[in-house]
Amino acid sequence: MTTEIVLMCAALACYVAATVMFVVGVSFAKLRLVSLAVLASALGLAPQTAAIVVRWVRVGHGPFVGYYEVTNWMILFVVAFFVVIALRNRRLSALGIGVMPVAVLLLGAAMFTPLAGLPMTPNLASYWLFIHVTFANLAFAAFVASFALAMAYVIRERGAEGRWAKGLGRLPAQGVVDELTTRFVLAGFLFWTIMIVSGAIWANQAWGRYWGWDPIETWSLVVWLVYAVYLHARFTLRWRGSRLAWFAISAMPVALFALLGIPLVFHTAHGGYIGGTEALITGK
Amino acid sequence: MIRGALRRAVTFLGSASLATWLLVVVSVWSMVASFIPQDGDSAEKVAAWAAAHRGIDPMVRILGLHAAFSSPVFVLCALALAVSTCLCAWQRTKGALRRARQLRDAGAADAASLAAAHDLDIPCDPGMSEAQALTAADEALKRLGIRSKRRDDVLYAVSRPWSVWGSPVFHWGLVALIVVILGAGFERSDGLMGLAVGQAKPDVAQSYGTLHAGPLHGWFPSDRSIRVDAFDLDYQAGGVDRGAAPVVSVLDGAGRVVKTQRVYPNAPLQTGSVTIHPSDYGLSVTLDLIGKSGAVTGQAVQIVDFSPSAPEGTIPVASFAVSGAGGALLRGSVTVPLDRANGLFVKGLPKNRSVHVVVTGPDGTRFVDTTLRPGDAVPLPSGDRLGVASVGYYARLKVVDDHAIPFLYAALAFAMLGLTATAVARQQLVVVAVSRGGDGQRLVGRVRLWRNVTTDRAEIESELVAALGEDAKERVS
Repeated sequence: MTTEIVLMCAALACYVAATVMFVVGVSFAKLRLVSLAVLASALGLAPQTAAIVVRWVRVGHGPFVGYYEVTNWMILFVVAFFVVIALRNRRLSALGIGVMPVAVLLLGAAMFTPLAGLPMTPNLASYWLFIHVTFANLAFAAFVASFALAMAYVIRERGAEGRWAKGLGRLPAQGVVDELTTRFVLAGFLFWTIMIVSGAIWANQAWGRYWGWDPIETWSLVVWLVYAVYLHARFTLRWRGSRLAWFAISAMPVALFALLGIPLVFHTAHGGYIGGTEALITGK
Repeated sequence: MIRGALRRAVTFLGSASLATWLLVVVSVWSMVASFIPQDGDSAEKVAAWAAAHRGIDPMVRILGLHAAFSSPVFVLCALALAVSTCLCAWQRTKGALRRARQLRDAGAADAASLAAAHDLDIPCDPGMSEAQALTAADEALKRLGIRSKRRDDVLYAVSRPWSVWGSPVFHWGLVALIVVILGAGFERSDGLMGLAVGQAKPDVAQSYGTLHAGPLHGWFPSDRSIRVDAFDLDYQAGGVDRGAAPVVSVLDGAGRVVKTQRVYPNAPLQTGSVTIHPSDYGLSVTLDLIGKSGAVTGQAVQIVDFSPSAPEGTIPVASFAVSGAGGALLRGSVTVPLDRANGLFVKGLPKNRSVHVVVTGPDGTRFVDTTLRPGDAVPLPSGDRLGVASVGYYARLKVVDDHAIPFLYAALAFAMLGLTATAVARQQLVVVAVSRGGDGQRLVGRVRLWRNVTTDRAEIESELVAALGEDAKERVS
């Protein structure tokens, strides 16, 4: 447990450092600092992955049960997704200013939740769990990337000569940022759909019904519908620019609530994954 | 006039703004509904919510938000969305056909046809040869992430015709999904059946405690029966406690075993269209009716459920009937007193098994109110005796008969295939060639950037202008 906590603290320290470097680098247009921030983000992945492996071995199951494990796994995806994007296209490095604060806040909050390992419940013990959770995390990572791009778009749009806009000047042209935001939303929408579909197949396997309007199912549909509205606005209503960027910014918290907030607010059949109680699926 | 009205209705239902608004309405409705107790929840919960929200509860009831996903408002919106999706799929199919044709035409374009019809026209550096201009254009496109091929002095960056089919396939997949879900609602049956260990019941409506069967669900092909062979209270598999897990068999009409399997969450028994899941468990009591001669003349299996609030920890699921004196029908019920640990009932068979038997007459007179152990019997007013043969576990099974599930998965797979193509496949058409005219050498071509392209037309034009300008020759050489 101690090794795990030390590793997690190291990861969090890297992410905090990366966040600070992104803020300073972008606000003062210090490109070298932004590159260092990407490096710090990538470095943080190593202790975080090691902490997850250590925990996996210790508790005997994947990091899918309990608030701490779920958030930890999710942030690993968010940061890894961002690092891959930044390394593939250096012009997108500045997006870390939108991604890393989300990672730090969520991981920091997760560190304050109970860290003890929870047992795998009979309903969760299935290979579908890995598929379902992996695609949920991939979707969230893509939504966070679209959120960061949309933030960058709005900042640049509001003050073309401002300090922040100058720091974001290395990003591609606004039209391309707009297009990239849509591409990440589309990728997230695809992953979210796979998450819902795999969840429906799994629910049929575990409980004998593929859809039950459980709060978490309802909210996963809500997120799907919200992003479907975004895609319709973009492709059929021809929305562009800051209106669409604001849409992407406000949609991401809905996805976050669906993933982490629902088991805290509602009594849900999926409560087990966050460490709560599982509601009885079938009555008399 | 009718045709005109019909056309207007189709145009309205197929409009992008209606589809978007319907998506908004359904998502807002679902969000709101998730905060309001539904009729599926306990009546107490609904009543408590209504008492706490007196101001808005009447409106919630008018809108049907306590049964949000079967209320007329939701059903109407969902149906409109289904029709809209269908019309949208049709429009996208027409659009995809058009784009596929454009891609095919662009793939066959040559320098002469591009010179005759183009929407991109950039003057080249006069000192540049045709080959140099094309190389410069190729590199400029590459810098923007567009890879092109060169054939007969024409640069092609044309997506394959299948790339435009993602969105229509996705929408048709959604239409298929809606049709399958609607059809399945008519055909599917979903019920709970309680079976004591060793007991078998035919798969007919009367065997179920609770049953939801669609109007088209046909029982006629089913002469199967379902049996519980064994029961484990704490079954372990793969290092995980799977909880209560019965062994279930499905038998054919001749009583032959079709399939036997231990069932627990994520490991249902599947045979044909039938899937059997464990739902819950309780206790069972086998009662014997013993005639005056001492021979067993009848037998009944009674099941009881655990109930922490009941005085003995269990409640009867159903009553049984026995003949009283003079042919009067008497009603009986059984409960099993549970063991206690730390002041709570232990949810399992008690160490010393006993059964509390109550038999009452039509007027409420208690003829029997006693506790029996297995092997004990009590006299009835008719002169017969009621005995307890055994006490054990029963498994409550969820039996689902749904022929539509493979079709549902096929529709999902089809939709996913379309969505993957939509998200991944580039939809672009960039064809350029060098044309020589009276005003010198020019790069002409056609550009269409539909989807998944990380650049835009303005960026392409400015990059090409920069590449083919005065300093281009040196850079290329």
